Amino acid sequence: MRHKAPLIDALLGLIAGVGLVALYAPLLATAAISFFQVVRVRGALGFAPFSLDPYAALLANGEILAALATSLVVAAVASIAALGLALMFAFYFVSARRGLGLAMQTMVFLPFLLPPIITGLSLLIAFREIDLGRGLVTIIIAHIVFIVPVVYRTVLVRLQLLGSSLTEASLDLGASRVQTLRYVILPQMRPALISGVLLAFAISFDETLITLFVAGSQTTLPIRLWAMMRVGFVPEINALATLILLFTAVITFAIGMLQRAGERA
Amino acid sequence: MQPLLHLENISKRYGAVRVLEGIDITVAGNEFLTILGPSGSGKTTILRIIGGFESIDGGRLMFEGRDLAAVPINRRPFNTVFQDYALFHHMTVAENVGYGLKVRGRPRAEIATRVAEVMETVGLAAFGGRYPAQLSGGQRQRVALARAIICEPRLILLDEPLSALDVELRAQMQRFLKSLQRRLGIAFVFITHDQEEAIALSDRIIVVNGGRIEQEGAPEQLYRRPHTPFTAAFLGENNLIAGTLAAVDGPLCAVDTPAGRLAATVDGPAPPTGSAVLVAVRPEHVRLDAAPMPGEGLTADVADVRFLGANVMIELRHAALPGALLKVRRLADGSAAGLVAGQRVGLSWSAGDAALLRAGPAPAAL
Ligand SMILES: Nc1ncnc2c1ncn2[C@@H]1O[C@H](COP(=O)(O)OP(=O)(O)O)[C@@H](O)[C@H]1O
Ligand SMILES: [Mg+2]
Repeated sequence: MRHKAPLIDALLGLIAGVGLVALYAPLLATAAISFFQVVRVRGALGFAPFSLDPYAALLANGEILAALATSLVVAAVASIAALGLALMFAFYFVSARRGLGLAMQTMVFLPFLLPPIITGLSLLIAFREIDLGRGLVTIIIAHIVFIVPVVYRTVLVRLQLLGSSLTEASLDLGASRVQTLRYVILPQMRPALISGVLLAFAISFDETLITLFVAGSQTTLPIRLWAMMRVGFVPEINALATLILLFTAVITFAIGMLQRAGERA
Repeated sequence: MQPLLHLENISKRYGAVRVLEGIDITVAGNEFLTILGPSGSGKTTILRIIGGFESIDGGRLMFEGRDLAAVPINRRPFNTVFQDYALFHHMTVAENVGYGLKVRGRPRAEIATRVAEVMETVGLAAFGGRYPAQLSGGQRQRVALARAIICEPRLILLDEPLSALDVELRAQMQRFLKSLQRRLGIAFVFITHDQEEAIALSDRIIVVNGGRIEQEGAPEQLYRRPHTPFTAAFLGENNLIAGTLAAVDGPLCAVDTPAGRLAATVDGPAPPTGSAVLVAVRPEHVRLDAAPMPGEGLTADVADVRFLGANVMIELRHAALPGALLKVRRLADGSAAGLVAGQRVGLSWSAGDAALLRAGPAPAAL
């Protein structure tokens, strides 16, 4: 619906533009600085010419690369595991009695809704109780705990939207429950499954606070960055931030596309 | 002969609400049976009980003499054409149609051959590679049918399959369904709220209302000899005049009504004299005389003359029957040309065309 009010349109456009600039300026500045380093020339600030030096330094920094590898492994394992759990919870919710389903759902959501400090601390205490040393395993378990709710939500919405009619049609045509799941339900949910995993991956990749409690000597990228920032600023950080920015943007875009595909189906 | 399917005295509740009560239906092996009733009368529930999607609270469901209670949906030799088709949108038309064979583990080559055959049968031979979203409503309907018949069921259940189609397509699909059922030689249980559709398609109709069976029979039998006010009003049009049964002579009855004594014919045993009854006369069976003859039928005043294409519907008012318009249908051949509103005319009919009904609860569809 378009009405003729060019002045108002222009004003709204301006406000949106200013808002976006304010939001993205720091990010863009980081990206720019990763290519054009800030240098001090005879007392004044200026930009050095274009260079990929920070990226080269990044590739040579073994600690950062190790942390990056850990982060990727954690995010991948945790989001796949979370998908499996989320599917089970969602199927339980749509088939169980309402009260039981809601109780289960509250338990699934709780770790995500609690302050991260509390979740992190509880996990730490729990690991200590069962004598599980801090390391890759504890990080992965912690990440599963707080990304399951995100995947669960995405999966459940799609499952409820799907309703029972396709399941009934499949059974009516002679399929077993397992065949129905494999040939009808899961394919119908594919966009939701992929976007749920991507979202979980992105959240896991970023998570800092809870990880801080449960990580041992092997740490994830955000924690490594955090540690580096405290001792001093190195140019690699800009390069790394830019790469992460790009990576996150791609994932976000993919989720958006998948969700639109899901709506159309 | 043992029926293919027998619903024995089935009842169904949702919580405290009774939606089916004393439903007793037999289905013969090759008949086109229609369950006809207004929206909310329990038709879909009956179909879902046969299909195995709903449990029952009383009665039994027998298939060739075996109780189906312990037989799950995917083991029943029936297939359903759902009201919303429920096609699998991520599969092509051919994959949709072949699904029933695939899940039964049939070899690929056999599936391909059978799919081609069935697609030919429903007139979709060229559409195998498309997705359901790329088809029209009528074509989706045919896919849903093809998907069902490829499983070679003994019975196909159809829940208002034509209600989403436009008038022309609907008539075409009606002919197609009827001929398909004849060709396959299997039973169809068809649901509709459209009485014309029911009459046009069915070998037998079961009229349901408020979760109970009102009457069942061949379409012509139901149309000619309705037993309840509901059936009389729901199948086609009827003039219903309330009165008291005054005298019975074989099938012939005399009924005292506010408009005078009227003749009617009772189907089966007559109720006792003095009971509240209705006289039902089809608009097309009423004779109309511009010059009323004293002592025969009744007189009424023309209220409106409506041109309906092939027919003219004349609506009349009778002083002693307030609130109700009497209807007379005439061919639009000019015989009703001279009638004007306000004119007093005589109405009469042969006793054989007037059905005597026991007065029940007011018919919901009026
Ligand atoms: N799942 C359900 N829960 C409660 N009531 C229902 C349910 N399904 C149907 N009903 C009720 O049962 C009655 C019959 O419904 P239905 O069989 O769908 O009728 P029809 O197909 O003739 O329109 C209706 O009054 C409807 O509201
Ligand atoms: Mg229905």
